[in-house]
Amino acid sequence: MPIKVLLVDDETSFVETLAKRLTIRNLDVVTAGSADEAFTQLARTAVDVVLLDVKMPGTDGLTAIKTIKRRYPLVEVILLSGHANLEASVGGMALGAFDYLLKPVRLEELVYKIEDAYKRKSIQEEKIRTLREVGVSSPAEPAS
Amino acid sequence: MNLVRFIGECVKRLSGRKGPELSPEEAERLTNLFTERYHSFRTLLAANGRALENMARMEQAHGGTRPYGMNFVVSNATSLAVRVFRMIRHLDALAPGSYVELFGRFDAIRTELEAVLDPPRLPCDGPLVLPLASIRRNDSGVVGSKMANLGEIAGALDLRVPAGFVITAAAYNRLLDHNELRPEIHRRIVSAEIQRSDSLFALSSQLQQLIASATIPPDVEEAVRSALADVADRVGGATGFAVRSSAFGEDTVETSFAGLYESELNVHPDNVLETYLEIAASKYTPQAMVYRYQRGLRNEDTEMAVGCMAMIPAVAGGVAYTSDPQDPDDRRVHVSAAVGLPKTVVDGRFETDLFVVDRHRLDVVDRRVARKTFAFDLRPGEGITRRELPPEVASRAALTDEQSAMIADVALRLETHFGHPQDVEWALTDGGELVILQARPMHHAALSPARPSIAGDPLVTGGVCVSPGVAGGPVRWVRSDREALMVPDGAVLVIEHPDPRWAALLDRAAAVVSEHGGIAGHLATVAREFGVPALFGVGSLEALQRGAAVTVDADGLAVHAGRHPDVEQSHAHRSLMEGSPIQTILGAALSHISPLSLTNPESPDFHPTKVRSLHDITRFCHEKAVTEMFSFGTDNSFPRYAAKQLHHNVPMQWWVLNLDDGFCEEITGKYVKLDQLACEPMLALWDGMVAIPWDGPPAMSGSGFASVLFEATRNPALSTPFKKPYAQRNYFMVSANFMNLQSRFGFHFSTVETLASDRDDENYLIFSLKGGAADEERRAGRARFIADLLDPHGFHLKVIEDTVTARIWAMPQEEILSRLKIVGYLLMHTRQLDMVMGDPASVKHYRAKLERDIVSVLASERPQ
Repeated sequence: MPIKVLLVDDETSFVETLAKRLTIRNLDVVTAGSADEAFTQLARTAVDVVLLDVKMPGTDGLTAIKTIKRRYPLVEVILLSGHANLEASVGGMALGAFDYLLKPVRLEELVYKIEDAYKRKSIQEEKIRTLREVGVSSPAEPAS
Repeated sequence: MNLVRFIGECVKRLSGRKGPELSPEEAERLTNLFTERYHSFRTLLAANGRALENMARMEQAHGGTRPYGMNFVVSNATSLAVRVFRMIRHLDALAPGSYVELFGRFDAIRTELEAVLDPPRLPCDGPLVLPLASIRRNDSGVVGSKMANLGEIAGALDLRVPAGFVITAAAYNRLLDHNELRPEIHRRIVSAEIQRSDSLFALSSQLQQLIASATIPPDVEEAVRSALADVADRVGGATGFAVRSSAFGEDTVETSFAGLYESELNVHPDNVLETYLEIAASKYTPQAMVYRYQRGLRNEDTEMAVGCMAMIPAVAGGVAYTSDPQDPDDRRVHVSAAVGLPKTVVDGRFETDLFVVDRHRLDVVDRRVARKTFAFDLRPGEGITRRELPPEVASRAALTDEQSAMIADVALRLETHFGHPQDVEWALTDGGELVILQARPMHHAALSPARPSIAGDPLVTGGVCVSPGVAGGPVRWVRSDREALMVPDGAVLVIEHPDPRWAALLDRAAAVVSEHGGIAGHLATVAREFGVPALFGVGSLEALQRGAAVTVDADGLAVHAGRHPDVEQSHAHRSLMEGSPIQTILGAALSHISPLSLTNPESPDFHPTKVRSLHDITRFCHEKAVTEMFSFGTDNSFPRYAAKQLHHNVPMQWWVLNLDDGFCEEITGKYVKLDQLACEPMLALWDGMVAIPWDGPPAMSGSGFASVLFEATRNPALSTPFKKPYAQRNYFMVSANFMNLQSRFGFHFSTVETLASDRDDENYLIFSLKGGAADEERRAGRARFIADLLDPHGFHLKVIEDTVTARIWAMPQEEILSRLKIVGYLLMHTRQLDMVMGDPASVKHYRAKLERDIVSVLASERPQ
């Protein structure tokens, strides 16, 4: 099963180009043009990794990640930003982002990050499965 | 407590005692737990490698000569902070709650870093418009240096300057705020790559458009209209205005910005406001943006004030330099002059007269009268008109000797007043009165060193050397912006006229040759400032064909066919970043990033509360992560994840912890053999270690032996047993593509860590070695000795006291593996060499031997 990626960005041309290139790399990509659209997509389909633009009109990336991690704690979120900002980057990480990458990001690096984030999610899922089998429930928050 | 248990477990295992058998469920739980910890460990190490890359890039930039912008500084600092934060998070995952103080220390350092990177803006309020007559030199923070100098000249020296006023930087800020332009400008700047020509020109166009189409705030408009009326009253009627930039940083001792912003001459009063927007927008001409980048200036450092001055209907005008721009030792005054407005001279496009005046006697000692075909005059109503000069005027000197001497005298007064050689723009009225239009510090060219001459006939000769030096490259003609976009790095720029807009290309040009122009033009000034050899006024350059390799000998007034590397001087442009605002910010940022105070893991100060920099945090996290990984198998009585002793023929004890897929098979006993290892990096290191037998300790001189004895009596590290078990022996942690080695060979402590997979971007190798038994000087000598041996192999090296650290990153797997062989060889063969470092003959001998050996180690194959 290919990794399911949700790409959230208000720049349509960026979303289209990146989605096309990630699809060629065997990733299953769905897109959203805003945080609200992303919430709808997440409710509709099981996603492994979300690529989330930090600066968007309406609900911004840092607000959106709070909702995503609260509703879907195992879904990994990688923040993408058009301009470097120390406070926002560390703030995003503290909210549970797997990583914070600056645009333009090299495709190879982004694919590696998606794979690593997916691996993290798989480990957490396996851990929860094992704990359930031995009768322990653990909502342990993964380190990202 | 963990370490005590670890030792107990090791003893238990070595003595063959086994713990209780684990249930399958417990084994699965522990396996999953280990997998999770291993993932955290790998992520932490990857973040560590990338964080060290960020630090290395920033340190290199700070100590280097290449320009960089705030984007570079902020992006690297941001990436670094994210990576350090990830390390803390993953260390917390490995040892929940054990090092929580790190979060607090990180926040404190990050806050300090933020303050450095984004210092609070100085309030720029105050008057929106100031009359020139009220301005003095120390008003440059409101009106820019150009207008502050002019105000000073009128007020303090009682020399005539045009009547006028300045639309201040406060007005510019009002303009940005009123139109909400600041965030948009910032957003566009940080998103663009101005090192790329197409991106630079596109950004320039967008930003200029934003400002030129802005609405002028009503209070600014009112203040300007009132000032225009005041000037009309002073000059006794309607007048045209020169509207000139006066940005912060322009016309200063450090930076000239010569001709990089726009100026408009003879603007009708009704059009001054519109012209103001165009001049303000010229803050973002491509040439100004490139100049700021090269000089390490931030966008915020160059606020834009604009001067509006009544036009002077000049009969002659020009520029006076109070010394030779190419030779600061030639202190004669050089007065360039043209008929009509000084535009003819400052444009640098046409040949003009030159009068060289002795500064003491004030007599003309040299006079070169050019044939001046045109003059610029004021057009009635608005603008400038170009007038063709009749032959008898064209060949006549624009100034008398007395006028030249008067101009030189005033220029020298300005030099004395401002305390620096001056570049003075002047105009002469039909009544013979001298009016100063501008005065700024001169920027001299660096003197050319002595060099051999170039043999053979040149392609072209003549002209005037406006910036000295010799440099070569392929010819690129530039007549249009389209051609400017396609100029490659290292090209020889060939132009018809020295238009200041071509200053945008000086960062990539090896040299510049122009058919027209002279020494006094703006492009010549910037070429000198950038240290780019330039030859102007050469005449026809048809002989220079696009793409042909040529060498420009600016000093020799010639362009030769082909390249002459033996004669060419370094193309590296002058380090223009030195002392710049951005370099200063980077330096301040690095003071919160680079210093490493946590150096000794055994010290009580090796504690989260003691970290002072981001580097300290990475060091702490790395050290503790390694410890936590080693303790897992023994803490949990789970032999699968406990270290195995390596069964081999090297006379030292080696222990190997399999992190994931580092063994070819599951090892249940206490030993592992080399052929059971699947870790390519460890095998490569081992290949290097065993490739050439060690000859044993070096022969020591009496002083070398004495140094060891002396050191043994005073250095506690040489006698105190280390508490940490993995530091007592040599420990590998391995997976198929990853290896971490902590080792102690005698008194030498080293770590080697590498990731060598098919993800080239993520690969890295870090090797660090410290210690020794000899005295400090010899140990430090050995660290430098190792650095010298590694230098040709592409390592980034740092030597601090007796510690050498070598790093490479983002390389293909095979290249990392071949360098591991070198590191393995050096680990074995530099042992005890610290003791011979006081003997130059021995150092030479060992350097030659080790260099030879490295060649054979690289060529050696692994025995089957």
